[in-house]
Amino acid sequence: MERIASVEQLRLKFPGKDTLLFKDLSVSFYKGEKVLLLGPSGCGKSTLLQVLSGLIPHSVDIPMKAKHVQVPDNWGYVFQDPDSQFCMPFVDEEIAFALENIGVPREQMKGRIEELLKEVGLHLTPHTDIQTLSGGMKQRLALASVLALQPDVLFLDEPTAMIDDEGTESIWKTVKQIAHNKTVIIVEHKIEQVLDFVDRIILFNDHGEIIADGEAATVFHDYKDVIADQGIWYPGIWDEYVKQRKRRQPAVREDEVIRLERFQGYRNREVKIRVDQAIVQSGEWIAITGKNGAGKSTLLHALMKLIPTDGVYELFGKQSEQFKTLARLIAFVFQNPEFQFVTNSVWEEMAYSLRLEKRSKTEIAETVESLLQMFHLKEQQDQHPYQLSMGQKRRLSVAASIVSGQQIFLLDEPTFGQDAKNTFALLELLESYREQGATILMITHDENIVTHFATRRWVIEDGQLVSDEQLVTDHTKGALLSV
Amino acid sequence: MRWDICYRETWLHRTNPSLKLLVMLVLFIGVLFVHNPNILMNFSIALILLFIIYTGYPMKYLLLLFLPFLLIFISTASSMMLFGQGKTTWFQWGLVHITKESFLRGMHLGFRALTFALLGLLFSLTTRPVYLFYSLMQQLKLKPKYAYSFLAGVRLIPIMLEEFQTVQNALKVRGVTANSGIFEKIKRYAIPLLSQSIRRAQRIAVAMEAKRFSSGAARTFYYEIGFSKYDFVFLLLISVMAAVAYYVGISFPYIPVEDVR
Repeated sequence: MERIASVEQLRLKFPGKDTLLFKDLSVSFYKGEKVLLLGPSGCGKSTLLQVLSGLIPHSVDIPMKAKHVQVPDNWGYVFQDPDSQFCMPFVDEEIAFALENIGVPREQMKGRIEELLKEVGLHLTPHTDIQTLSGGMKQRLALASVLALQPDVLFLDEPTAMIDDEGTESIWKTVKQIAHNKTVIIVEHKIEQVLDFVDRIILFNDHGEIIADGEAATVFHDYKDVIADQGIWYPGIWDEYVKQRKRRQPAVREDEVIRLERFQGYRNREVKIRVDQAIVQSGEWIAITGKNGAGKSTLLHALMKLIPTDGVYELFGKQSEQFKTLARLIAFVFQNPEFQFVTNSVWEEMAYSLRLEKRSKTEIAETVESLLQMFHLKEQQDQHPYQLSMGQKRRLSVAASIVSGQQIFLLDEPTFGQDAKNTFALLELLESYREQGATILMITHDENIVTHFATRRWVIEDGQLVSDEQLVTDHTKGALLSV
Repeated sequence: MRWDICYRETWLHRTNPSLKLLVMLVLFIGVLFVHNPNILMNFSIALILLFIIYTGYPMKYLLLLFLPFLLIFISTASSMMLFGQGKTTWFQWGLVHITKESFLRGMHLGFRALTFALLGLLFSLTTRPVYLFYSLMQQLKLKPKYAYSFLAGVRLIPIMLEEFQTVQNALKVRGVTANSGIFEKIKRYAIPLLSQSIRRAQRIAVAMEAKRFSSGAARTFYYEIGFSKYDFVFLLLISVMAAVAYYVGISFPYIPVEDVR
């Protein structure tokens, strides 16, 4: 087989780090192969893709040394973040940008753009504003503009990391359609959809060393424990998790927590969410589901009063208007944890709300200390929140929001983009709060979370609560609760 | 948060952006040398007409956009009027001292500010940034490196506005009260927004190079921006406007003053 990309004895070090990311790493890729690179986050898989494509050191200035690097002549690269790989405002202009770069004559561009959009299954008018596309569509647009370069090799760097399940499926379906005669090198943490597509898996460990390299099915079978330990989402992971999980306990008490009647939330003076009637009790875990743009986030924003509302909204039997701020009653966790941080260290972040409430110094220190332990952030307590890993940031954002002992949690897809390990850890933590009587309202796209954790499901459609269904009626016998 | 204002495309939108930019710059500088308030007033009126009839935006938005500039007109004019120096006193009360000269000078300055604002609005309302930069690359040989960096930057603005709102909500959720100092506030918004933008910018740059964007290679253009009859119309109209403003200002002055200096 013809070798198409390779590195020999690669050494690479990030500035400011003491240890080498790669030490004498050698690996080759052959024409037509579909390869999956697996490994714990931070082990250097994405960096390796950038070396193989020549982006390092050409575009990203990182010191590296190698005996030999073979970069393919024609390659395309799809990145993780759908919002930061486009430089033009409209779909056709973005694809045209790639065509311009390789000097395609202007007369052929319109035709090529339409062809490419069809190829990735985007059936829209070419002159569409990119901001109006969903995440899955944006990633397929990224694929289309990469295909415009007519690449032999495709580098896919976690293209679905920030995309919901529906989008993920559409992306892999497209990749499978377009890539049969190309070499594809993939870095991915959610491997359910990829596993039947790849024919070779390379498994890395924490130190950027290859611990397995071979036929996909064999590697997956032989190293399943390692893969599971690295927090990778693989097929069947939920079944295994459920099997080893202990029996769930019903909540300690059941009081009315939230009462809504003809509750409406407004954006730009238009009703964007409406709940005719709903009563929520303590110890409930409500999964809020519905399509993108149906109004799920708007509902949470309305409950937190981030947008104007009217109708009856009672909390613990009192009119919500009677509370000066809802922040002490309700904890709110955003999708992107970074936007929630207001201080310069993990410790300060946790202490922040307590300071606002003018608690005593010793009380603050004690509370923060216990939270640091509980959320496994003790070692990071002096770091800046932005320096944490994705999983740590998420844990900190949850810890910092619940610090004042709120009894209601509003969570906007908190497990989004998290690896399996962090997801299960977070869900279990929330479950322990629920058992103590906290109420959880959580937006999710993941059916497994709904089945295995929620006690009730709300479906939002066109800005209305259209279905309200108990998933467990009897806490002691409920099949769903006692796994 | 998005800017979705529907507008009708007029001939002004179809003029060559580079030409429009150059003409606007010439007018900007030219206006500085007009000292006859009559001419300036006439020219402002002509620009207002152009602004209302040919930008293609609904009247409501035009008025809304115009409002802040009207305020500038009033504040510029009035401060000069009330406190300027002059010989012929009309009114005096404490610090306030209105003279004929200062009144005229104030009016003149106000109209000058208004003209600047109108020129800027006319240009920005009728020019898509994408066309402007394609035109700058094609007609004025701007390096693609700079043009596309600007365009990538323009794309970041709506994203930043969205993120601004998110930060605002996040602060509310954390129980941050509104009565903190201005520096505190700036810090709270600036750090997350800037750190996110810097990261975005870096990623977009790498993504652009991954799509074979380089300064060396010859490139083709998706939009060919050339000249058309509209450019001729534009040049002609501007010249006629200037000429008429001048002629009418000299021959039929509203105010019997030729130089406010």
